[in-house]
Amino acid sequence: MPEITDLDISEYRQVGIVGIPPLSVIRTLNEQRATIHDLDARLVSASIDGVSPLLPKVYCAILRTVVLNAMHLTLDAIFIDVGPGKCDSALHVSTILQGILRVPVFRTRNTDSVGFGTPLAKARHDLTERMLAITEGVKSAAPVPSQYKPCKPKAGFWGVPPRDFAILEPFPATTHIYGWTRCMENKTPANETLERYCNPKVPTVFFAQSFCAKTALAKFLADRHPMGLYLDVDFHTSHSAKAKIQAFLELSGALS
Amino acid sequence: MILGDFGTSYCKFLSLAEDGGQPTIVATRELPGNLHVDLATGHNGRRFAGRYVNELIALARGGEAMIEENDYVLLDCGSRDIKFVAYEGGKLKDMGWNTECGASMGFTIELLEKYYELDYQAMHAPQTTFSVTCGVLGMSHIFDAVINGVPVSEAVARFIKGIAINAFRFCGSPEKLYLSGGLCANPVFIESLPCEVTPLGRFLLLKGLVRYAE
Repeated sequence: MPEITDLDISEYRQVGIVGIPPLSVIRTLNEQRATIHDLDARLVSASIDGVSPLLPKVYCAILRTVVLNAMHLTLDAIFIDVGPGKCDSALHVSTILQGILRVPVFRTRNTDSVGFGTPLAKARHDLTERMLAITEGVKSAAPVPSQYKPCKPKAGFWGVPPRDFAILEPFPATTHIYGWTRCMENKTPANETLERYCNPKVPTVFFAQSFCAKTALAKFLADRHPMGLYLDVDFHTSHSAKAKIQAFLELSGALS
Repeated sequence: MILGDFGTSYCKFLSLAEDGGQPTIVATRELPGNLHVDLATGHNGRRFAGRYVNELIALARGGEAMIEENDYVLLDCGSRDIKFVAYEGGKLKDMGWNTECGASMGFTIELLEKYYELDYQAMHAPQTTFSVTCGVLGMSHIFDAVINGVPVSEAVARFIKGIAINAFRFCGSPEKLYLSGGLCANPVFIESLPCEVTPLGRFLLLKGLVRYAE
């Protein structure tokens, strides 16, 4: 795995990233004024069925989205994190991307340990907007800006940024963010201790994408939490998944 | 004020204007298109009311209104899905809603009674069971058993027992269970649940809605 300093990236104007590559990579790309595309996010409108020849249908929706984006965007290079801050599935997806794309696909292993803080995770503001700000923050080596005031949590969302943000709509503005999303804001995606952290006094939804390895941790933590709800969702948030969250938040007093 | 629980196969209504009024049931396929109620629940409910409460909340509130204990598990078996709430110390402990693997269980049980011209009221839980993953897939077990000489009523009863055991496991295998929904009136289903069962009838969600009408 080459160091970023060993690479000549001056020609790369359009760069895709998967997961959170090390800060050194992001900083260099920022300095080169490259446009970074977060391939974990929904960037193209093409049908997800297009990735079926490459990936099983029963596979993480985020990584299927990565492949879909990579197939349709015009990129000069991709940096895909396959270290402890992402997952084994990303490692295999990197092999697929290297096999189907003509542009270089660089594997990284992010073990950054310097925390940048998590003000957005603990702020009082619309959860979807804060989630968007955190995911947008992976494109920059600077701390994720937050102009919102901190608050005492009435609810908790633990997990990764979902593929379908509709799942976030029922949560109150006083929801604190935990799990890997908090690690994202802190720019330490491999920080397992921070990822496991949750507040037992706060009714918390433990979310993972269906077919993701993090479902095991989400279920484990939810079972141990005095007011935890485990939930996994695939591509789209179903009526019942959303209703489950609404009911959980109301019945646990998070909305009162 | 009219409250409505709009289920997949049946809709239940309660008029709060009539003192001591009894709930009524209408088959969903017979609902007039221009029907409008004041407050609704059930997966069809949004179409027919200005105000809507989701089914899990209505179920939980109905349980709070009808069950005096602080610790209990309440399971609702509908035509299309199964859902439960578990309370401990008077507070929500666990909940679940299965619309996928629990798909069409109640609907399939009713379909089988009509197709095979059975009378569930005259039947009992069998000794053995089928391993049933969902209503649709489970039917193939019935066909196979009948081909192999098992009486139709016995095969259907095994299917129902498989569904009952699935539902029991889904809500955490409790020692005691409060049951809501149309299957409260099905003795094969009730007897097949391997625990103490208290049927609460099919109007529990309406009871839950009353809280939101006040």
